[in-house]
Amino acid sequence: MPYRIGSAEGFYGDDVTRALPMIEGGHVDVVCFEALSELTLAILRRDQMRDPTRGYTRDVEIIAERILPVAYARGVTLITNGGGLNPISAAAVVRAAAERQGLRGLRIATVGGDDLLPRLPDLLAAGEELLNLETGEPLALGDLPIVTANAYLGAVPIVEALRQGAHVVITGRVADPSLYLAPLIARYGWAMDDWDRLASGTICGHLLECTGQVVGGNSLASVERLPASDLANLGYPIGEVEEDGCFVITKTPGTSGHITQATIKEQLLYEMHDPAAYITPDVVADITELRLADDGPDRVRVTGVRGHPRSDSLKVNIGRLEGYLRELIFTLGWPRAWEKEAQLREMLAVAWEGLPLTRVEYTHPGIDSLFGPLAPPPADPIELIVRVMFTAHDSQTLKTAVRRAMALGLSGPAGMSVSATTVGAEPRPLLGLWPALVSRAAVEPGVSVSPQEIGGTS
Amino acid sequence: MTEAEQLHSIRRVHDLAYGRAGDKGNIANVSVIARNLADYLELRAKVTAERVKAHLGPLVRGCVVRYELEHIGALNFVLYDALDGGATRSLRLDTLGKSLAGAVLYMPLDPDPDSE
Repeated sequence: MPYRIGSAEGFYGDDVTRALPMIEGGHVDVVCFEALSELTLAILRRDQMRDPTRGYTRDVEIIAERILPVAYARGVTLITNGGGLNPISAAAVVRAAAERQGLRGLRIATVGGDDLLPRLPDLLAAGEELLNLETGEPLALGDLPIVTANAYLGAVPIVEALRQGAHVVITGRVADPSLYLAPLIARYGWAMDDWDRLASGTICGHLLECTGQVVGGNSLASVERLPASDLANLGYPIGEVEEDGCFVITKTPGTSGHITQATIKEQLLYEMHDPAAYITPDVVADITELRLADDGPDRVRVTGVRGHPRSDSLKVNIGRLEGYLRELIFTLGWPRAWEKEAQLREMLAVAWEGLPLTRVEYTHPGIDSLFGPLAPPPADPIELIVRVMFTAHDSQTLKTAVRRAMALGLSGPAGMSVSATTVGAEPRPLLGLWPALVSRAAVEPGVSVSPQEIGGTS
Repeated sequence: MTEAEQLHSIRRVHDLAYGRAGDKGNIANVSVIARNLADYLELRAKVTAERVKAHLGPLVRGCVVRYELEHIGALNFVLYDALDGGATRSLRLDTLGKSLAGAVLYMPLDPDPDSE
């Protein structure tokens, strides 16, 4: 009997209740919820600055209220990195819900130690340069405000929590596929240098971690084959993994969507760079000898994943507040739309003279906003939408820029209007991500696993 | 042939492949997946990293690296400095570059003998 992992969250805001048919139908042993994109932690920091008891994803509340009682009754383990910046508070929410529901004996574990923000000065002093992986620059403190600095942890602390008997594991920044690998290590006792098995479990996690994207969502190969009503209610994916690491990807029986070799290939290469070196905190996975085989309706078997030893460093993403941005959308119609567009740009250039704007970018949705100059623009468009994006180090500059632009309302090009929702919007923080490496030895001693039990002590 | 008919008659990468774009920081990747081995071999011969780089123009400021996965009939293109600084600071409408797969699939399959 293979070990069965369900996947019910691929981003903060996903429909986590799709775990219910997996659990109620008896199709899974564990369900994982992956909630953290590169941007999510910065959003959570804003929440936490308003209220120190926040900083976790609110999906945890839905998981605790709706999914946990069903899962606990059926012996299904739940694992999520939706604890974000504050797994402790997320666990308190789960605990409160569990107590209300009388889930006696439930064991909750949190994993911490990924948040390096308070440790950055010490890390730099200890010789960690935190070179930007994309530009090669060393990190300097005091340059720009740093709002987040989280290392990507691997599967090990989750494995420890599961071995301590946790029914629910709540973490911060654990790498996406590591969430799915951890229960496999705990179940099968794989050694942490059994690179092929670790790599196979990692690729299984990679295929599951984006939920709908492997069952027909975001799938060009599925365009003709899936009705829209199916897309709106896809059944989320399940991995059935054998002790040797080989696995089948399938979906919740009786639900919409499909699994084919095409949907597997699309997700396999999603966010993949070198197929011989898919790097996670646990292993370097290699899919250059991977094989796919049909295994019945909505079932694809994956074999041949190879693994190489893990790296001595961990990735850390540092979020820095680089400034603010603002958007205005102007509408121009026929006739002479391009001439009027040139008038608008010149008027704004004059109105904004002397303002310390750091960038001003014009695009034309429907013409060049996605693909740039890939196709020639129409000579005489019937509609012309002008999107202006502009940035500054401070938000007040942007407010001044908007006020000056609006003051031109009755003096502008013929027939010009402006989208009212963009006029009314507030400046948005512009967050720069600084990806870097940090030595594993500097992070792992600070990683902690904290268990607690409902109706008991710990 | 009218200009519109000419545009329509061009064979594009999409005629032989499907694909998906992904983002990591300021790096995008686009898979180009063939429906059979013959199509894969044609794509491999014609859809080079250099042509993709030239085709995408100002969308990709860095280099383009191609990986070949014959065992699943796919090419994987990694596009460096391709997301206007990355999703968190991009001023593009499509900050994650989800549409970039379409941009690659739009490329004419055969090199233009005049311009390439």
